[in-house]
Amino acid sequence: MNLLTLLIFIPLLFGLLIVVLPSSLRNSYKYITLLAALVQLGISLLLYFQFKTGASYAGIDHESQFQFIQKLPWINLNLGGMGKMQIDYFVGVDGVSITLLVMSALVMVVAAIASWEINKNLKGFFVLFLILDMAVFGVFCSLDFFLFYIFYELMLLPLYFLIGMWGGARREYAAIKFFLYTLFGSVFMLLVMVGLYLSVKDPATGSHTFNMIQMMNPANYDAHSIFSTINHQTIFGFPARTVGFIVLFVAFAIKVPVVPFHTWLPDAHVEAPTPVSIILAGVLLKIGGYGIIRICVGIFPDVAVSGSFVLGLLGVISILYGALNALAQRDLKRMIAYSSVSHMGFVLLGIASLTTEGISGAVMQMVSHGFLSSMLFFLVGVIYTRVHDRDIYNFRGLGTLMPQFTVFVMIGFFASLGLPGFSAFIAEAFTLAGAFKSGSTNGLVPHWMAACGALGILLSACYFLWTLQRMFFGTERLKGGETWKHALKDINWREKSALIPLALMALLLGIMPSLVFGKINDSVIALVEFTKQYIR
Amino acid sequence: MGNLLASLPDQLSNTIGSLPYFSPELYLAALFLLVLITDLIFGRQSAWICRIIAIGGLLVILFKDLQQIGLILQHGEQSVFLFGNMLRLYKAAISFKLIIDFFAIVLIIYFGLDKRLNAHPKGLSDLYTIVIASLLGLHIMTMAVNLLAVYLAVEMVSLASYLLAAYRSENGFSAEAGLKYVLFGAVSSAVMLYGISLLYSLTGSLDYFGGNLVTGLISANPAMVSVAIILVLVGIGFKLSFVPMHFWLPDVYQGAPTPVTAYLSTLPKVAALALLINFITPFAFNEKWAAFDFRLFLSVIGTITMIAGNFAAVWQKNIKRILAYSSIGHTGFALMAVATFTTQGISALLFYLAAYIFANIAALMLATYFADVTGAEDLDGYKGLGLKHPVAAICFVVVLISLTGLPVSAGFNGKLLVFSSVYSVYEQNHNIWLLILMVTGALTTVVSLFYYIKIPLYLFLKKQETENITLPAEGAKWLIIVSVILTLIVLLLGVFPTYLVDIL
Repeated sequence: MNLLTLLIFIPLLFGLLIVVLPSSLRNSYKYITLLAALVQLGISLLLYFQFKTGASYAGIDHESQFQFIQKLPWINLNLGGMGKMQIDYFVGVDGVSITLLVMSALVMVVAAIASWEINKNLKGFFVLFLILDMAVFGVFCSLDFFLFYIFYELMLLPLYFLIGMWGGARREYAAIKFFLYTLFGSVFMLLVMVGLYLSVKDPATGSHTFNMIQMMNPANYDAHSIFSTINHQTIFGFPARTVGFIVLFVAFAIKVPVVPFHTWLPDAHVEAPTPVSIILAGVLLKIGGYGIIRICVGIFPDVAVSGSFVLGLLGVISILYGALNALAQRDLKRMIAYSSVSHMGFVLLGIASLTTEGISGAVMQMVSHGFLSSMLFFLVGVIYTRVHDRDIYNFRGLGTLMPQFTVFVMIGFFASLGLPGFSAFIAEAFTLAGAFKSGSTNGLVPHWMAACGALGILLSACYFLWTLQRMFFGTERLKGGETWKHALKDINWREKSALIPLALMALLLGIMPSLVFGKINDSVIALVEFTKQYIR
Repeated sequence: MGNLLASLPDQLSNTIGSLPYFSPELYLAALFLLVLITDLIFGRQSAWICRIIAIGGLLVILFKDLQQIGLILQHGEQSVFLFGNMLRLYKAAISFKLIIDFFAIVLIIYFGLDKRLNAHPKGLSDLYTIVIASLLGLHIMTMAVNLLAVYLAVEMVSLASYLLAAYRSENGFSAEAGLKYVLFGAVSSAVMLYGISLLYSLTGSLDYFGGNLVTGLISANPAMVSVAIILVLVGIGFKLSFVPMHFWLPDVYQGAPTPVTAYLSTLPKVAALALLINFITPFAFNEKWAAFDFRLFLSVIGTITMIAGNFAAVWQKNIKRILAYSSIGHTGFALMAVATFTTQGISALLFYLAAYIFANIAALMLATYFADVTGAEDLDGYKGLGLKHPVAAICFVVVLISLTGLPVSAGFNGKLLVFSSVYSVYEQNHNIWLLILMVTGALTTVVSLFYYIKIPLYLFLKKQETENITLPAEGAKWLIIVSVILTLIVLLLGVFPTYLVDIL
């Protein structure tokens, strides 16, 4: 049995178990889900430690260099004159995906622990949770565009229900907004996918293929096809490859989210229940970043190079706009949601630089933000479950009331604002180093963008520290008075068990960034080399 | 007269020679009589006997359809012309017939499970008779290549549809819907007949495959020809219900008994698409043909239909009305596949139609279920029902996902196949209209999600305000079972579309 396949479909098996269990055993569902997440974490760690590094395992555009590959013919349709439609069940990982897998697995465990607070419709919740879990891992492992798309879309429906059924007051609005935004991106992605499929031929079989790796090789494109690299076709008068890139980029930019496609995010985050917020911030946003690296840059490197200024600009706008918005929020969860927008901007800036440092920093930022944003959303959830309020101004002096909680908040906040010693510092430092380097080497991203990115770090220090000051310092003053004081008990063992691993990971990656860099380095170098040929 | 006598032996031998290729239709005629007589003999209690006979007979006819594939292969040609170029039997026509017959069986099962239809004083036997008679018309529609045969077949189906739509007309709304349907139908038939007569007067021929109709039209006045062709397309458009021939549809779909809606929204559409393909083929493949741009026509109509159908559905509250408008949207999407003029486009269309029908029948069955069990017919009535009837509600969600065209579902694969067939044509000729069609198709998918998702929204997300009553319903259990099976098929075809593509 292939380990990756096992990793992807383990949640489905556990989900089926929950489906068949009678509802009299409903208290066991959360343990089953936690077990599934732990098994996944185990498998992903196994994969991580077995993952071989070296230039011959770089992956990116070489199919043979991927690891833990499983490739099975899945759909073979004979289309008469059009030849055969070849769709494979094709999974594999390289450096870019392996660290994200481990991160996602850990976040899923935390989300499963956070699901303890769910108290209605348990069966539905946990089944949807596990389907979402499966889809997430499927996306990170798929190397066939069709398979990728299926998993990508499969995430939407469970999330719609998870937000819509277990969410807050405006959950219906938030859920449909999220669904429509993402679907808007992905239906056009479908068109580009079909266009790519008809443009690319598998040299081995001669039939059209959805294989992403084959799509990265310019030699596989038909000369008259729409996305041909030789004949520059046009769509509505625009160069076809540019249109294809933009469509795919918009689809992923909605996921990341990049300003101005971000407006679904604050609503979805605020209305979603804590475990869903954790998955949303911790994992789903990374799918956007991962998609941009693997698909946008991988398949359209020429456009990625020529459009890198715009990419970088959008990244910088996200960093600054997200930070300024976070500064203005009263709702703690909304503030953290906007801080996500800001932090994910670094990912885009790093990718746009197309330097080794920048892309390494981007991947590192995705991993780091995965841990940190999960932690922050979990921390918000702690307060919210106790008093059902999140307004920053309704709390004061929590530091004396909940000392242990405050310690974790401080770790989370300081790590997120880029304090040296924590993972976000490494990630942001590398991203900015990449952006600065790009200005003087390949000239894709000007220096001032890097400078603006640094300004973003300063702003994030502002909003985090200000929030810390407003909520946790000073004399104790709560809106709810005595009742709140009783309700606001310090965190229990269960909450600690979720927070400690996250805090440890943030610290560990800050001290030993090689845990990530060691695994991703070869792939990042390969990707940079791969794009270098298009830089003029 | 002398001429006729001389050609009589030829004609006779042609007719006799055509009979083997006509066997499913002959069996259908026999089945029609059999069901009719059973009804007469057994009287009021005959419904279940008629149903068993109808289903059994249709299974035999399905088998006969499959045999025809072998017959065609044996003949060694692409298509066989029957009865002096009246009908044309070819691979796609058989596939269309297979779809029609298979879903006719599903529909006949469905008819018997509907509480309100069952409460009809006349019983259901007549209904089965009418459906089988209409199947004969539908079969001929898929093969007709002579304008006379076209008219005959369309009328045959129309008459049956009128009867079905008004079958249970105890309330005013249903009667109004039936009357509307008859009036619009009669007018569009008349218009079509007028178009046919114009074509005949221009060329002296009714046979558009073998005769000199196409060559005659090439030399005729293009404006005149366009008018005549558009008039004929109006008649086909009424059956297909593309915009602007759609305005009868929402009222009829809402007013007719739900199983009849399921019939009207599926089978005549399939046959009308087959008819359209047959009608267009000789023109599209004639290089000298320039009077009327079919691709432009289909693209414009398809685009408008997708937009109008999907946007209109957004404002609807009644479940059947939502599905009615969505079926208009689906017609637009199907026209996109027709506009490719390729065999690949037709096979994509076949898959798309089958996927659509599976999901659509299941959706209407579940609408029947909720109407029977809780009395809910519009969105407000659906509030909070999802948690009380989880199996039905989950099936409903899956089916709606398929109708939207999201993975993993048959609908998604259908959409993918249609997109790829259109794309491959676009790649060759860079026709801007095909691109517009695809972009519209993608955009309207997002729009369609907006109204499809309303049903799960009301089922699961909204809180129930009033305590709802549970009405007794015998067929409810079976409705659930059949719709679960259909839902599973939808999912299965989502993961393994090969099974269906290989059959079609």
